[in-house]
Amino acid sequence: MANAIETRRLDVGYGGRQTAVKVLTGLDLSVAAGSFLSILGPSGCGKSTLLRVVADLLDPLGGSISVLGDTPHAVRSRRDVGFVFQDSTLLPWRTVRDNVRLPLNVGQGRLTRTIDDRTDELLDLMGLAGFGERLPHQLSGGQRQRVAIARALLGQPRLLLMDEPFGALDEITRDRLNDELLSLWRRTGATILFVTHSIAEAAYLGERVIVLAANPGRLARDLDMRPFKQAGNRCSREDPAIVAAMAELRGALEQAS
Amino acid sequence: MRQAPLPSALAVALPVFGATSILLAWQFVLPWLGVPAYIVPTPTAISGVFRKSLALLLSNLWPTLIEALAGFVIGNLAGVLLAVVFVHSRILQAAYFPVVLFFNTIPILALSPIIILIFGLGMTPKIVIAAVICFFPTLVNMIRGLDSASDNEHELFRVLSATRWEIFWSLRLPRALPMLFSSLRIASATAVIGAIVGEWIGSDKGLGALIIQATFNYQSDRLYAAIVLSSSLSIAMFSIVVLLERRAIRY
Repeated sequence: MANAIETRRLDVGYGGRQTAVKVLTGLDLSVAAGSFLSILGPSGCGKSTLLRVVADLLDPLGGSISVLGDTPHAVRSRRDVGFVFQDSTLLPWRTVRDNVRLPLNVGQGRLTRTIDDRTDELLDLMGLAGFGERLPHQLSGGQRQRVAIARALLGQPRLLLMDEPFGALDEITRDRLNDELLSLWRRTGATILFVTHSIAEAAYLGERVIVLAANPGRLARDLDMRPFKQAGNRCSREDPAIVAAMAELRGALEQAS
Repeated sequence: MRQAPLPSALAVALPVFGATSILLAWQFVLPWLGVPAYIVPTPTAISGVFRKSLALLLSNLWPTLIEALAGFVIGNLAGVLLAVVFVHSRILQAAYFPVVLFFNTIPILALSPIIILIFGLGMTPKIVIAAVICFFPTLVNMIRGLDSASDNEHELFRVLSATRWEIFWSLRLPRALPMLFSSLRIASATAVIGAIVGEWIGSDKGLGALIIQATFNYQSDRLYAAIVLSSSLSIAMFSIVVLLERRAIRY
């Protein structure tokens, strides 16, 4: 299977090239196309920074990165990447429908392919049919994140980057959205990079989980979750194999912190 | 501990009661205490001016209304436009914002004679004074408002490859609206003050001129009527701003 993301000795940091504070150093990472990768790590280890480099929001200081066989900039220009933030980042003055349609309203002049208006289909898919004319403040936290995911999916991106998208939600809503996300992933075949602080969430969602260590950020553990799960990345949260994988991840996280 | 909110009927009735009690005290207690009518005329005497001299009051209201409205529009528009320039050019902002800040520290009463010297005695200097008084709060609020979008919101627009123009129209400007309307509310009152201050210094018409003439002629009832009218003008402008705000900001 071709790789969706390929980094070689990737250095990332903030500030000028000479004075930069390095957040990630020498990262070698290959992510298979269509896979679900969970990224765990202590605060400041560069999890969100990695997503920002992939999304072309931040230039690397050194090393190389290839996204979908291209540069991050080219991938962003053809809207092949969707980004979901921890706070839903919905524009409060736009209705749910207009928030989902935002990718059709901006950036069209720079877009290197045409994207279809799939707003209604996505509202249906995310269980938001009938909520299109509501304003974001009239929604629950879980519904707002659903809108954010629908917006990220509008351009049918081949790569979905999610930065702790369910971090602020209650456990029941988070579990429900995890299941919805998995079925969405199976349906779209997109590659998903999912940053989280939750070991349970990372283990449940990911086909593979990487743990990053901090100061400086580097790869500390790379765990293939497929041996712990049934075919198609299916498992139950109470499965002893998953619980064992979580214990392993906890150990890696403790060492990385 | 926070107190429980009042029942809705009481919330309406109490301010009415408060205002009525003060008007009644003003009408009956002040004369009883011996306060002469040339210092504080009674509410009925003031309302009498509205009946007897309505034409005079209205003929003086119009110039003030036009000056305040024109000053309001020009001052706020200038504040908004300069804020747009400043947020798009940090160099211009660093170079000229301190100058604007210094300009704002000059008391309007000290600045007004200079404006009248430059623009003469017509309506123009009053409009300029009203505009100057509106300008600065709007500039400061608008700069803050245009900069108030979060990092995530900017990153979202960057992921979508939005142009600078699209970021301005679809993010910065809507984000700035609540702060813009806060300053427009303030400006709706200060524009009237600016127009009246301008009329004090050099004019024979307008509510400011009427206030000065009535003061010098000991026509206290006319003076108070002019004050009531200028206050009503501010309230009317404020109400229009609030109505526009409710239409523009639904969240």
